[in-house]
Amino acid sequence: MRWLLSLLLLGYLSAVQALSVAGTRLLVVLEDGAEREKYGAFLGDLEARGFHITTEAPKSDSLSLFKHGERTYDHVVLLPCLAKGLGPALSANVLLDFMKKEGNVLVALSSERSTPAAVQSLLLELDIHIPSDKGALVVDHFNYDSTSAADKHDVLLLPYPTTLKTGVTNYFGGDGLIAVPRAVGQTLGNESPLTAPILRAPCTAYSYNPKDEADSAEDPFATGSQLNIVSAMQAHNSARLTVIGSAEMLQNAWFAEKATLSGKAVKTANRDFAEKVSAWAFKEVGVLKVGKLVHYQDEGVSKKVNTSVAIPENNPKIYRIKSDVTFAVEISEYDKTHYVPFVPPEGDAIQLEFSMLSPFHRLNLRPISQTANSTIFGTSFRTPDQHGIFNFRINYRRPFVTNIDEKRQVTVRHFAHDEWPRSWQISGAWVWIAGVWVTVAGWIAFVAVWLWSAPANTVKKTQ
Amino acid sequence: MPPKHRTPATSTPAASTTPRSTTTPRSTAPTQSPKASKNNTDAQRIVQDLWSSYQTRTSQRTKLLDTFLAFLILVGVLQFLYVVLVGNFPFNAFLSGFSATVGQFVLTASLRIQTNPQNEGEFKTISQERAFADFVLGSLLLHFFCVNFIN
Repeated sequence: MRWLLSLLLLGYLSAVQALSVAGTRLLVVLEDGAEREKYGAFLGDLEARGFHITTEAPKSDSLSLFKHGERTYDHVVLLPCLAKGLGPALSANVLLDFMKKEGNVLVALSSERSTPAAVQSLLLELDIHIPSDKGALVVDHFNYDSTSAADKHDVLLLPYPTTLKTGVTNYFGGDGLIAVPRAVGQTLGNESPLTAPILRAPCTAYSYNPKDEADSAEDPFATGSQLNIVSAMQAHNSARLTVIGSAEMLQNAWFAEKATLSGKAVKTANRDFAEKVSAWAFKEVGVLKVGKLVHYQDEGVSKKVNTSVAIPENNPKIYRIKSDVTFAVEISEYDKTHYVPFVPPEGDAIQLEFSMLSPFHRLNLRPISQTANSTIFGTSFRTPDQHGIFNFRINYRRPFVTNIDEKRQVTVRHFAHDEWPRSWQISGAWVWIAGVWVTVAGWIAFVAVWLWSAPANTVKKTQ
Repeated sequence: MPPKHRTPATSTPAASTTPRSTTTPRSTAPTQSPKASKNNTDAQRIVQDLWSSYQTRTSQRTKLLDTFLAFLILVGVLQFLYVVLVGNFPFNAFLSGFSATVGQFVLTASLRIQTNPQNEGEFKTISQERAFADFVLGSLLLHFFCVNFIN
């Protein structure tokens, strides 16, 4: 009876956790119930997707991201607060430690409220820069919503982001226009390869502080598409931090609002976009998993890659130089509720390195076959003419998908004494083989003649 | 291999060098062609004398040894030409083939020294049969190593 219960419990748990690979415990930091109402639809959507939401005020005594050194939440949403500081439980260091333990953070900024010092230094640490003065916002005199911001031009209407560059999957694409009211623009530093823009401001936008007395914006924080409305950072351990420049984007008021872009009435698609961004931020999409990893010696019986997954994982510890090796790996991608076969985007490939200090081979892995929830990638190669300790390594780091870094160490030995080709198999040696045998044959002939001619001489000698 | 000959071989060059040394200071240009022809005939005579004395004064077994030595030189030179012209790719094969020939040459040369009737005084304790047995054993060992080394 008990096992049935535990099985049921397990089934229930797995059903509940079916959404995010990283877990469902979600902490929302905001000030009071009235604030929560504003984000009701967004938080309701998250709850409907299976997250268990805990709402806490930033300075609450019960608030703690860690308990006994382990995370108490899997994801944290920091919404803008009136208070200037976030309190000791949410300092920049604590948030970084939270990310080091693979927790995900979503930060929403607002130009109407000052960004807490903890958030500022957290973003600075991750090489994401925001304007230092309170009130700076992104304006655009071409892509503004003329219904709500006819004068100030600070509510932008932007299309969905397109692919960042070739070889990168776009998890945020869609149809429609996103309203971005009073956003705090961010710029990404050049130092960090871990940051990537999700939604960029159009080229006519600029960051500007309306409290400045000057008539025109002089020395703006940033202009054009170097301004990010939404930016992302994925750490080496695949913990994700998402910065949304405008918290108002997530509010009910903008989820399906009527807006006007240069005379045309449109409906904002914020709800859909918020879902896409939060799905990425909380690891519902773009999570890769490495399944079975097989490498084996190609015996030469069949030169084609063995496509069966049923082969035992016989990964040998030792190979010989100049021998044929086949490598296969199973990779799946998590897509909201289940794992699907991973297909690398156009123009990109997963690569296998066979390396000792530096790679001796770097090969594209070709998809060989697919199972219900994974793609099997494989390649064949010949081990280099170099013995030593080698690694099979897959190091796949791309924006928006979790990192893959798999290593399998093997020894590559030199030829055993009986594995060398015999002399007659090398045509270059034939001359010298002939030399040896001609010498031997000549010697035998000589010995024969010597013995045959012996009597005459011995007679002579005895005389 | 031209063997060492004491009496005729050494006497003929001495005879031929004496008139040449006397002619050279006397005239330079006009006497060059007769001198060359004279030298030519001298050289021919030397070779002929060498050859005839070799034929008459060398024992039959030594001649046989000389034939074998000449054969080994030919084989060795061919192998060395090949390594110079083509390359030494299976280097162990070259070492094996060439050293088989060279080693055989050395063994045969020592057999020749030991069995040459002219050296009889120096090898009183070593009989011809004993020298030949040593030669056969040494050669077999050499062939064994070379064939194994060439793999």
